[in-house]
Amino acid sequence: MHDPDDELEAELRRLAADREPVPAQLVQAALDAFGWRDIDAELAELVYDSLVDADQASLVRGPADQRLVSFAVGGMTIDVEVTSAGSGRSVMGQIAPPQRAMVDIRYPRDTVTVETDELGRFESGPLPPGPASLRLRPPPGGEGPAIVTDWISL
Amino acid sequence: MLVSPDDTGLLVRGAAGGDEGAWRGLVARFSGLVWAVVRAHRLTNADAADVYQTTWLRLAEHIGRIEQPDRVGAWLATAARRECLQNLRSAARTAPTDDMDRLDVTPAAGNPTEDAVLAAETEREDAARAAAMWRAFGQLSGRCRELLRILMASPPPSYAEVAAALGLPLGSIGPTRARCLQRLREEMAGIRDGLSPSS
Repeated sequence: MHDPDDELEAELRRLAADREPVPAQLVQAALDAFGWRDIDAELAELVYDSLVDADQASLVRGPADQRLVSFAVGGMTIDVEVTSAGSGRSVMGQIAPPQRAMVDIRYPRDTVTVETDELGRFESGPLPPGPASLRLRPPPGGEGPAIVTDWISL
Repeated sequence: MLVSPDDTGLLVRGAAGGDEGAWRGLVARFSGLVWAVVRAHRLTNADAADVYQTTWLRLAEHIGRIEQPDRVGAWLATAARRECLQNLRSAARTAPTDDMDRLDVTPAAGNPTEDAVLAAETEREDAARAAAMWRAFGQLSGRCRELLRILMASPPPSYAEVAAALGLPLGSIGPTRARCLQRLREEMAGIRDGLSPSS
């Protein structure tokens, strides 16, 4: 390697590896992520996130601590409103078309389960900030495939 | 052990089929890239950890649906970038200080300051150059710092991955890299002139 730019870049790379390495517990978290796959569930993909998709004008007007996120799969949508309260987050959601379901709110260290009402609405208590995903499944006695949403950072 | 880029598609297909070893291979190949994207965006440490983790969780859920398995590096870079932008736009998250302690995230390999001191005892010249380079890097414009920080990922990312990480056209990466490396040399020269090594 005799190109001076390549040599300088390689030197920078060694420097970054020395001064700013990937924290070991994050590498472990990446390895552990594989265990969260739910291969039998359908994936509801993120189709709207007010933080990314809303135009600047509405960002300015909207409440700073409120975020709207939508997921969709097949004919179903899951709308979620994320509210910040101090360092915690809480979510209120609505499944359409309305139906009863169990909602597992999954985050890397734990899972909290809530149930929707007959209008498909659900809400959580305070959650820790960080990665989270919802897993919807039929209520006891019900049938149908589970649905998981894309992971987002709450 | 590094995996050649040609094998990346095989790793994706293997992981999609449930092969945990293939997933480990993907993490080994792209962990540095995802981390570099996160570091390039100047998030707090807690947010950086969230974005890094969310990106990998998202890939795990999508692993059987990646349209171009051999380009999963660009997929990860794009996903990480999107998460970073979302984080930066979230007013509620703009903590002014570094909150390394809150999230329990500490650098993996030793203490950088101790490392530098140790290195200085044995290879003072190299350490002085490294310190000057790190400082010069920090003085670059935002755009140069971002580009170089992505390029500094280990193992080295492809230009396609760099372009995805920054949302820039592929053709702009080479020329910008050359210009930014030149700026780094100039900053380093300025630091050496201004701070002659004492002691």
